[in-house]
Amino acid sequence: MQFALEYRANLALDLFEELIIVISSLVAVLILYDHTSAINGWTEGQMIELLGVYYLVQGAQAVVFETSFERFMEHVRMGTLDFILIKPVDSQFMISTRHVQVPQFGQIAMGVLVLAIGIAQVGGGFGVLDALAFAATLVCGLLLVYSLLLVLSTLSFWFVRVENLLAIFWSFLDAGRFPVDVYPGWLRVTLSTVVPIGIAVTVPAQAIAGRLELAGVVAMIGGTIIMCWFASWFWRRGLRSYTGASA
Amino acid sequence: MRQLLRVYRAIFVAEFQAAAQYRVQSVLWLLFAIIRPVVFLAAWSAAAATQGGRIGDMTISDFAAYYVAVTLVSQLTMSWNAYDFELEIRQGKLSPKLLRPLHPLHYSVVENIVFKVATMPALLPVLVLIAWTFQARFATTWGHVLLFVPSVLLAAALRFMFGWLMATFAFWTTRVHGIMHVYDRLVFLFAGQLAPLSLLGGLASIAYWLPFGYMLWAPSEILRGGASIDQALGMIAIQAMWLALSWLGFLGLWQLGLRQFSAVGA
Repeated sequence: MQFALEYRANLALDLFEELIIVISSLVAVLILYDHTSAINGWTEGQMIELLGVYYLVQGAQAVVFETSFERFMEHVRMGTLDFILIKPVDSQFMISTRHVQVPQFGQIAMGVLVLAIGIAQVGGGFGVLDALAFAATLVCGLLLVYSLLLVLSTLSFWFVRVENLLAIFWSFLDAGRFPVDVYPGWLRVTLSTVVPIGIAVTVPAQAIAGRLELAGVVAMIGGTIIMCWFASWFWRRGLRSYTGASA
Repeated sequence: MRQLLRVYRAIFVAEFQAAAQYRVQSVLWLLFAIIRPVVFLAAWSAAAATQGGRIGDMTISDFAAYYVAVTLVSQLTMSWNAYDFELEIRQGKLSPKLLRPLHPLHYSVVENIVFKVATMPALLPVLVLIAWTFQARFATTWGHVLLFVPSVLLAAALRFMFGWLMATFAFWTTRVHGIMHVYDRLVFLFAGQLAPLSLLGGLASIAYWLPFGYMLWAPSEILRGGASIDQALGMIAIQAMWLALSWLGFLGLWQLGLRQFSAVGA
């Protein structure tokens, strides 16, 4: 009984921490807009929408991908991967969705909330096509991040310890809180290609803000398909080269 | 005193050897430490661009100088002992440390300094690059440089002390990292990472009363030359006051905590 209560207390505290983090980021945006009415063409409401998408993506990424990929790499290191691979389910899917984190769902919920606040601030500002584009590009963005994580994790087949690469990814994550166009050239390119967190957040935000054109949606979908195909191929490559821990 | 110096020298050597093994981790930490200010510098620059190149009395070049200073000061004043301390208590490693003749604080100080010295050579070129990319403009005079030294030392000591103050709560609860997260967010808002205190709008008046600004914003403004000599002297005085207060607070809290410490393996 006490354990259950303590678990719930810990959960409440985790959610409270998330709330503080999200609120302080919102305050940051409000302070910025105290001094200007637009940043690179983004109004305050649109920026808040972007912040919502940012936490949505970050939460989604954390909920499923982070822990599963982490566990996977631990399995490789400890040689227990074989037990997972002999199960009949497609290994890529199993690796990715085995473990779910509840507090991170809270982050997603807050992302949605912030997005709603932004939409209210803008006063709508999008049509049916925009909403569809938003859904499509959001899914694309999440798939892009997933693909990157899959590629990084696949590297553990050869290098075993790739946490440092993951740490690099996470440090770039912070830059997703602002639209990718405010950054200087080299950072903007990195955030759009190698570490796609930039476009994963900016493009859907553009869609919901009514700022995205069809060409952008097509490019996003095209790029995502290519990336997913590559990541999947790379994963199978890694699997093939995996000779097992107890040959 | 001689004895203390010899002891410190021994600890320094040991810590440098330990630090050499954490090269990769240090570089990764630096990456994160740099991205944060660059993110906000980019945001403020974009904001200033729509306002004719300046916000308040700061141009984009001034912002660049400010954030370069903030990054440097941040690295020079950072401390992480609260997290370590909580871990040590939970793993029961604290008790043997308490049995040593030296207060754990001394080891913490040395570990802190060694990390900063080791990472500085990697940080400086990156700062130069950022300053050049954004065309940072420093209004620093020699007076500012002179005052910067005590200011940054006080800021580091203040941040260190506050870190230990937060850490002592670990004597009473295992959820210190929760407290630390909230504390970190307060620092983020009020210490000057998000914006120089003068631009915080409605929150500015609160910010000047809190200690956080004097851990980061004060020495940064002095280094950049954004504060007049008079203002700088005033800032330093306030820094010293907060340091004294936090030191007293820590002493009291540590004694209380130690008495209450019924530990895992005490």
